[in-house]
Amino acid sequence: MSLFSSRSRAGADEPPHFPMHVLLVLATLYAIYPVLWVLSIAFSGKQSLAIADVPSNPTFWDRLRAVVPWPADISLSNFTSVFADQPFSTWILNSAIVSIATTILGVFLACTAAYAFSRFRFPGRQAGMMSFLVSQMFPGTLMLIPLYIILVKWLSLGSTRTGLVLAYSTTAIPFCVWMLKGYFDTIPRDLEEAALIDGASPATIFWRIVLPLAKPAVAVTALFSFMTGWNEFILAATLIDKESMYTAPVGLRFFVGGFSQQWGFFAAGAVIVSIPVVALFLYLQKYLVSGLTAGSVKG
Amino acid sequence: MSQRPDGSGKGPSHRLRFGAGLLVGTILVAAVGHRLLTTALGETARFGEDRRAVISLRALTDVVARAGSGEAVRTVVAGFAKWHPQVAATRVVLFDGISLEASTDPADTGENAPPRRLKREEKDLYDRGQRLRAAIETNRAEGGGRKDEVEKERLPDGSVSLAAPIERDGEVVGLVETRRVPPPPAPRPSLLTTLSYVVVPVLLFALLSLVIGERRVALGILAALLLAGTAWGYGAQSWAKLSRARTALEASVAEQVKTSAARGQELLGALPATAAPLAEAPPPGTAPEAAPAIPPAPLDPASWDSDAFRRPLGLSDGAGNVDEAKVASALEEAKRTVTRTTVLLGALALVLVGFIGLGGLAALLGTLKTHRVAYSYVLPAMFGMILLVFFPFVYGIILSFTDQTIYNSSAPLTEIWVGFQNYVSILTDFKVARTAADGGIIFNYQNFYWTLWITIAWTVTNVTYGVVVGLILALVLNTKGLAMKPAYRVLLILPWAMPNYITALIWQGMFHQQFGVVNQVVQMFGMDPVSWFEKPATSFFTAWATNGWLSFPFMMVISLGALQSIPSDLYEAARVDGATRWQQFRSITLPSLKPALVPAVILSVVWTFNMFNIIFLVTAGEPAGSTEILITQSYKFAFQKYQYGYAAAYSTVIFGILLIYGVFQNRMTKGTEAI
Repeated sequence: MSLFSSRSRAGADEPPHFPMHVLLVLATLYAIYPVLWVLSIAFSGKQSLAIADVPSNPTFWDRLRAVVPWPADISLSNFTSVFADQPFSTWILNSAIVSIATTILGVFLACTAAYAFSRFRFPGRQAGMMSFLVSQMFPGTLMLIPLYIILVKWLSLGSTRTGLVLAYSTTAIPFCVWMLKGYFDTIPRDLEEAALIDGASPATIFWRIVLPLAKPAVAVTALFSFMTGWNEFILAATLIDKESMYTAPVGLRFFVGGFSQQWGFFAAGAVIVSIPVVALFLYLQKYLVSGLTAGSVKG
Repeated sequence: MSQRPDGSGKGPSHRLRFGAGLLVGTILVAAVGHRLLTTALGETARFGEDRRAVISLRALTDVVARAGSGEAVRTVVAGFAKWHPQVAATRVVLFDGISLEASTDPADTGENAPPRRLKREEKDLYDRGQRLRAAIETNRAEGGGRKDEVEKERLPDGSVSLAAPIERDGEVVGLVETRRVPPPPAPRPSLLTTLSYVVVPVLLFALLSLVIGERRVALGILAALLLAGTAWGYGAQSWAKLSRARTALEASVAEQVKTSAARGQELLGALPATAAPLAEAPPPGTAPEAAPAIPPAPLDPASWDSDAFRRPLGLSDGAGNVDEAKVASALEEAKRTVTRTTVLLGALALVLVGFIGLGGLAALLGTLKTHRVAYSYVLPAMFGMILLVFFPFVYGIILSFTDQTIYNSSAPLTEIWVGFQNYVSILTDFKVARTAADGGIIFNYQNFYWTLWITIAWTVTNVTYGVVVGLILALVLNTKGLAMKPAYRVLLILPWAMPNYITALIWQGMFHQQFGVVNQVVQMFGMDPVSWFEKPATSFFTAWATNGWLSFPFMMVISLGALQSIPSDLYEAARVDGATRWQQFRSITLPSLKPALVPAVILSVVWTFNMFNIIFLVTAGEPAGSTEILITQSYKFAFQKYQYGYAAAYSTVIFGILLIYGVFQNRMTKGTEAI
């Protein structure tokens, strides 16, 4: 490959950057094209998923025009209609409530457990950690059927936000425990040991010393939990039947699934729903990587 | 089992431990046994009550049918009510004329006295009769018993309302409805007796243990024997009570049939002989002749003790003689259940005795006390996990052994148990393909092995693509001094940052056959537009393209992080030693990448294997389910075909596959960790 052969000089010369830039630009276009596509549909003011109409005997350039992600007319009508004419604001509200509730529940329950796994040695510690890890590896869809039966048939929590929060917590709790424990492991124990010598109780150590130190990790874990709840599609689609209770993902799917093909609304909604999580993700992605690979990478 | 001394320094008291164990065990046996016995006695009593109700209703109906109509019916009904104080009210309705022929209901007196036309508010009564008529017709047409021919309704005040159709010459002409007062509560087993089953063994143990002393083995045997004796004793006396109750029930039911028949015959006999069945009217034109007095057909008491489809239970004949053989076989069945339950309870209690007696409980309590801080910290999350993760997981596995669908979802699981049948039908169905008449191969897309093959192909192609593309881009991005690196990095992560259901729908739109941009590009280069979702291969391609686009950023970021942690001195040293670029890559870069890439690949394999959203939203399995992966297939079985039990088995198989993979990769990474 030209990458390597260009760099075969023995000196400290820089390998030529130009071919790399070409590759990177092509890769970037490949990466962002669908995003540009959805943006152009959103701003097109139409419901069609074609960027531009193609005349009956199209030339190469006509087709190219239909591929370039710039709408024929720029209009904000999709954005205004999706809020005014569609129950989109209700759906976003549902998503927000469910995600926040899941986050609070997950982080709340996980803090103490993560601390215990990190600091204490007790019988059942290994088994407990393994069970949390294993349950994180196996997806919610495997348990969708029993969860559906339990939540919808036994507890009559179908199409409710409570039911969805309970279902999301099944993956939120192990995830939070895992990430928080990883962070607690990195906090040096000197402070705690000093406090112990001074006669502080374990509770005091946890609440007054360790937890304030762990604020960034708790924040990061909370934000990731929030994102997971915000982006979750299939559990919501299965457990919620009533249109007024849809979360945003189910609502967006509703626009383009089956017989309705309202791509304009879908695109506008998708843009609105994605902006917060994309921004959060870009901000937090280094924590996700280190959290995922911590413990599996030795050194 | 280690003997942990208690705080005082003396050895543990075996007598105390075994005594405590025996106490717990006997309480378990007695409490559960008492509960079960109460339920069983209650059920027997209710069974008897129901039968008695049906018998008197059927008897009355038969008598009314033979009485005909008019005053005869009223006389018969009034006479019947006198003999049966448990019947609070009776009403007879005839369809011909929608008339209330007779009633002993206190509200139907004076102006409302029968015979009269039914009022609008009483439409339910009429509807009930029509329902019964329809039910009989359906059952006759289908040749079986599907719809109830005798309706039973439990009213809120505890009384029971029953209705049966009046048949004459094969036609339903009306109905009889009775309301019975709530039956007296069933006899409950004596609490004192049950208590004695706890007190006596424990006292015995206490006394005898004074003699035996602190010998562990002897005490253990004594406790075990006493417990076994308690269990056996309780089971035996429960059985005696139950069989006595049942035998008495059969005798009293048979007796009731006999007396009802006699009384009914009396009532009919007391009627004036002109009561002729109202079926035949004299043909028009002929002079009405005095119809000969036709004696009513004899009553058929053997058919009165029946089920909801009016099929006789056959446990007694009409003359008051119980069919001993049938009752005995019913009792045999019950005896087996009682024996099984007793043995189970006894075994469980025995385990408890052993656990407590041998010091297990003391050890457990000690551990809990020592680590109480840790356990209290872990408790909230553990509790949530057990409730929301472990219990559903176990329930899912239990469900996989049943045949539950949406139609029988309220049936108790023991009734729809099918054992391993679901697993057998999933795993042993090897008919993946067959040859069609024209020689082509037709694949069975619902077959498990086809779906497995697609899932494996899906995982391998996606992970490979992600690793290759991600690695290449990471290598390029890692170049020293490259301009605009942060910009590239942010933009290249975008596919991972977007919610994946949105991007799945976007790609589905882009692959649209008519307006999608992919086909526009295809046509730009002079080729025909492709109908992406009509062939398995092209449909698979659309999903792969989407997921590939989604997954390379993750690999890129991981690789980049690993590359950046390689100290540049290594490369310097290698260059000084004269290594070529390729040699440097193989000996420095690759080995340093492995510790980061291996866990990433492992994670990616699991994620891709279970990547529900992409397949579900992009291809939806089109065409004809050929691009389903295991997890979407299981979803379809559960929520589109409503076969919950089968789908649960499918999910458990997926879990099994992932588990095997997890164990396998665990071994492999242990091997490669020697870096």
